[in-house]
Amino acid sequence: MSNKLDRKEFLKMSTAGLSTSVLTGMSLSKPVVAKKRTSQQRPIRLGFVGIGGRGTWHLSAALGIEGVEVPAICEIRSDRLENAKNMVEASGRPSPNLYGEGPMGETDFERLCAEEDLDAVICSTSWKWHAQICLAAMNNNKHAACEVPLMLTLDEAWKIVETYEKTGKWASTVLGGFPDVTLLNMIRQGVFGEVLHIEDGYVHDLRFVKNNEEREPWRLQHSIDRNGNLYPDHPMRTIMPAMDINHGDRIDFLVSMSSKAVMLNRYAAEQFGPDHPDATRTMNQGDYNASLIRTVNGKMITLNFDTNTPHPRESFRLQGTKGVYEDGADMETIYLEGPSPESHEWESAEPYLEEYESPILKNYNPPARVGGAIEGHGRRMDQTPINWHNLIMAINEGTQPYIDTYDSVTSSTVSAVTEASVANNGRPVDFPDFTKGKWKERTPIFMEV
Amino acid sequence: MASNRREFLKKTGLGSLGLLGTGILAGCTTEEEVQSRLSQIKEQASREYTQQFNMHGYAAPALDVVRVGMTGVGNRGSGTVRRLASIEGVEIVAVNDLEEDRVNSAIESISETHSPEGYYDGEDDWRRMCERDDIDLIAIATPWHLHTDQAVYAMENGKHVYTELPAAQTIEDCWRLVETSERTRRHCVQMSGSCHSGDAAYVLNMVRNGVLGEVIHGEGGYIHDLMNRYNFSKTMYHNLWRLKENIDRDGNLYPQHALTPMAQMMDLNYGDQMSYLVSMQSNDFMMADRARELAEEDEYWEPFVGRDYRGNMNSTLIRTHKGRTILIQHDVTTPRPGIRFDLIVGTEGTYQARPGRLGFSYDDGWIPEEEYEALMEEYTPEIVRRFNEMRERAVETGRAERSYARVNATDWRLIDSLRNGLPVEMDVYDAALTSSVIPLSEWSVANKSSSIDVPDFTAGAWETNERGMRVNLESGGGTTRIR
Repeated sequence: MSNKLDRKEFLKMSTAGLSTSVLTGMSLSKPVVAKKRTSQQRPIRLGFVGIGGRGTWHLSAALGIEGVEVPAICEIRSDRLENAKNMVEASGRPSPNLYGEGPMGETDFERLCAEEDLDAVICSTSWKWHAQICLAAMNNNKHAACEVPLMLTLDEAWKIVETYEKTGKWASTVLGGFPDVTLLNMIRQGVFGEVLHIEDGYVHDLRFVKNNEEREPWRLQHSIDRNGNLYPDHPMRTIMPAMDINHGDRIDFLVSMSSKAVMLNRYAAEQFGPDHPDATRTMNQGDYNASLIRTVNGKMITLNFDTNTPHPRESFRLQGTKGVYEDGADMETIYLEGPSPESHEWESAEPYLEEYESPILKNYNPPARVGGAIEGHGRRMDQTPINWHNLIMAINEGTQPYIDTYDSVTSSTVSAVTEASVANNGRPVDFPDFTKGKWKERTPIFMEV
Repeated sequence: MASNRREFLKKTGLGSLGLLGTGILAGCTTEEEVQSRLSQIKEQASREYTQQFNMHGYAAPALDVVRVGMTGVGNRGSGTVRRLASIEGVEIVAVNDLEEDRVNSAIESISETHSPEGYYDGEDDWRRMCERDDIDLIAIATPWHLHTDQAVYAMENGKHVYTELPAAQTIEDCWRLVETSERTRRHCVQMSGSCHSGDAAYVLNMVRNGVLGEVIHGEGGYIHDLMNRYNFSKTMYHNLWRLKENIDRDGNLYPQHALTPMAQMMDLNYGDQMSYLVSMQSNDFMMADRARELAEEDEYWEPFVGRDYRGNMNSTLIRTHKGRTILIQHDVTTPRPGIRFDLIVGTEGTYQARPGRLGFSYDDGWIPEEEYEALMEEYTPEIVRRFNEMRERAVETGRAERSYARVNATDWRLIDSLRNGLPVEMDVYDAALTSSVIPLSEWSVANKSSSIDVPDFTAGAWETNERGMRVNLESGGGTTRIR
């Protein structure tokens, strides 16, 4: 989904009615009910692991929220660690305990999780550490709020599920963003009839980011080693509630196909010369990946993934029995059989989006930020982001963020399953049921939008 | 489900006509027969084949006058006959349909310039028409299940074929078309959905000139809401044949509109070839409900209640030998504006339709409309220039105002090629390849979206074949006028 939605979320939100029970539905916190915090007065203690681009943004977001403390920070690069420490001090909070490189060259998150008294760990490292950090947090009696993806492998996915069920501490990709709740509102009110197909993806030319030491150079390694849809979580966070995945329906199986890989070699040759190793190194990740996902209730999801081509498109399309909605890079259009004035002609979706604007957004009015706007990751925001608000409320109320452990694991597992399919000529691969049948009883989320 | 089928066919009149659909369960009454049909798709798809004669690039002897016999003048064919009738050098000599009034009205519609003979004496009268020795080309716009038999019979009788899509619906029929065309050296050209005209022609020209770099991925579909006004209409299709194609049958039934332009942009059959595909389908959330609603008001619809309808959305992913990918969707039921050829992604740039846009950088997004228009102008292919020129000349004579002057560039270039003794722009291999996706997708859906290898109808010649679809009239011609 485009930045527009973020803008809308952040410009129009106010708080009344935004309790986590509204967001997450009834049975979400079962079978393990996290303990409700004993005193609302007690500050929320967050430990940060990974202070790169996204980590800086999240730290900035947290420091503007009254009642949040940041007693510990872990980061492998000393300049970033120093910068984070300065940010915390500048906010008038006590100087945090600092954790740097661990004994094996990894960040020292294990020690942070073991030694600090925290409510939750905020994880924004490179992808390969996410699962280990979340597990370390959960095993040390802390919740884990993580950037996407939650984990990379099926083994990690099951470990997170088992640890959640054992400890009652959750892991959530709530840091990744917030769903398009206005669209969910329209779905819940039956505007599109029964939703039977949704397509979306992640199309974002990241060649520069993958090849720049100051950005996310670790990302290149994933293109060298892997081949599939490596970034499903952004589209899935709206698609899953729109189709009630894990809440009345679940993913049955998927197939995935990748094109050849030529773009990254060419980019390296152009930028660094034909003798650079990356100009000829085998890049496993196809430049274009398309995946088809089927649910047990017979719905379909089409996901695309392309971070290598100069491709401006990023479009979301939702098809129901009564109409269709499309959110392209620069326009939102809709066609509804009946209400739309011209037969089978698109019209602007603006009036509908206004009419059905989610109460969650309409009523969102978070406490004023202390210390000013959030800076970082190329953006500036004057208001606390709604996913951060949701995270703080979940910790306060002893529930889970809107995207709970089962849903977070499910969303990120799309990567591993697509990789298995691509590696076998698009073979269908069954999708694991992390809820072990509980998807049948789990009620849809965002029902009260 | 299967046990009801015979009864169903009887009630709806489909069986009594002997016009069994070619769907997976067509004419089948047992699970074994279904499995046998599925395994036959697999078997036929992996068939070893040696080319008898390469029809790609074959120039048939020039015909000064192209004498046309037309079969099927219903919704579609009644327009086809008028389009063909308005091209210089075409003589419509015969018109065939099951229904006499359709034949008469087609003849009447072109009576100012043509005096065809009518053929409407039963189900097999088209054969009598094909057997005439004063016809050069048989144009086919009958229901789908007749296309291959008619095309093969026409070629056997020495005629070239211009058939509505799909040219075939089984792999076996795809092979029959290829073998017959090679043996008889008669062309089998599939109509519609190509780079002869529209934005696709300009985009193909850009692709050929490297504007988008190397093509990596394409998307499109046949998204066309046929639900109420077409498929569930008593008057639209003869004996509701098109609705019946959606019963007991899964898969992408109509891939050509999106696939043919993309195949031409990816040089399929002449430089690259499909390797394998997978296909997935949703459940049906609409047609069964619609049938039940209609039957409550009108018992005519009773036989359609409780049938096994095709899922609303089908998506098929195809991978080529050179690592390109294609996504084609098929949905003729949900209410939505149409989509055909939709997207082509290259190493240097991207084109997307609805509205037409070009982009060469993620950060800069789509280029401004003026720049887009300027590029489209710059890359206007010769086929479009020449065709427009011919249309304008027709406008000057005042004849283009007539309803039958809605000739398209595909019709025009086919007749032009035959008259100038040139190879046709789309040949039997293109018809077979794009049609084969239908049964292959049926097999994949029936096998939980497993991948299936796409047969190579060129028997390896794709590696050396010269490029087809010469959008700049590289082979010459372009001299045929429009009346």
